[in-house]
Amino acid sequence: MEKLTVDAEGKIVIPPEVIQKRGLHPGDELTLIESAEGLLVYQGGVDAKTSAWWNRLDDRQRLLAEEYALRDENLSEHERDASWNQEAESIEIEAESDELDLSNQLASCSTKA
Amino acid sequence: MIRRVYERRVRLALAKPPTVLQVEAANSYAHIATIANRLYITEQTANILKRRTEIFAAPILADTRALKKARYLRRWARRLTDFAFSSEDAIVLAYGSFGLDVESKTVGVDAIITTDIRLAEHYERRHGEIKHRFDDMIVNLPETYAVLRLPQVLTTAAILAMV
Repeated sequence: MEKLTVDAEGKIVIPPEVIQKRGLHPGDELTLIESAEGLLVYQGGVDAKTSAWWNRLDDRQRLLAEEYALRDENLSEHERDASWNQEAESIEIEAESDELDLSNQLASCSTKA
Repeated sequence: MIRRVYERRVRLALAKPPTVLQVEAANSYAHIATIANRLYITEQTANILKRRTEIFAAPILADTRALKKARYLRRWARRLTDFAFSSEDAIVLAYGSFGLDVESKTVGVDAIITTDIRLAEHYERRHGEIKHRFDDMIVNLPETYAVLRLPQVLTTAAILAMV
């Protein structure tokens, strides 16, 4: 991660080592993504895990993924938040019955060994 | 963090640019996967993923293991709320010390990775007091629990700074 400084004309300079590492050339386009979270200078490209997942999908699965993704994108932010906050785990004493005793777990480990 | 990793994949399927948090989370996740022995999620996250679209969720579930709750996890979570953590944040932090991997019989994690900068900063700021309270609690538990430790809490941005 690099820190960039905005000059008086609103320009930022990308350090030469980053230009070289990313294979950037004059005229290449970068996307500036502005959101509530901040700003992101984005070159495109995808991280290794996401890329590996996408590359494993065949054409039919990619179409299916797009269809499901559209449904997901059509949810409101509130609906999306709610779906990710389901089954919030209680911290109350009454909920403790599902906790596992560490001594028993270690004992069962010894038995298995 | 897992939510943003999932959403990054949704954005890719739509050929839309991701958000800052999605990029941070997905890149951190990819980096951690190359250096960590195991990636863990909470039971709640695992349950949520199991109900979501399989094509996006199944690979994340396959990459990770869901931690179970060891005894005293909630007790520690309640104590963490005394340090002004929400109950949702407190239980995640408590998983970091009392989360049990039943397969490998290990407990706790080295680090919790979050996109929540405020959570990480607050944890860091109060770490001395939290550690004191944690040690006080552990010393009064059965001997098996003496091995428990507090996790680090790192932001996805901090992970990317290590790359």
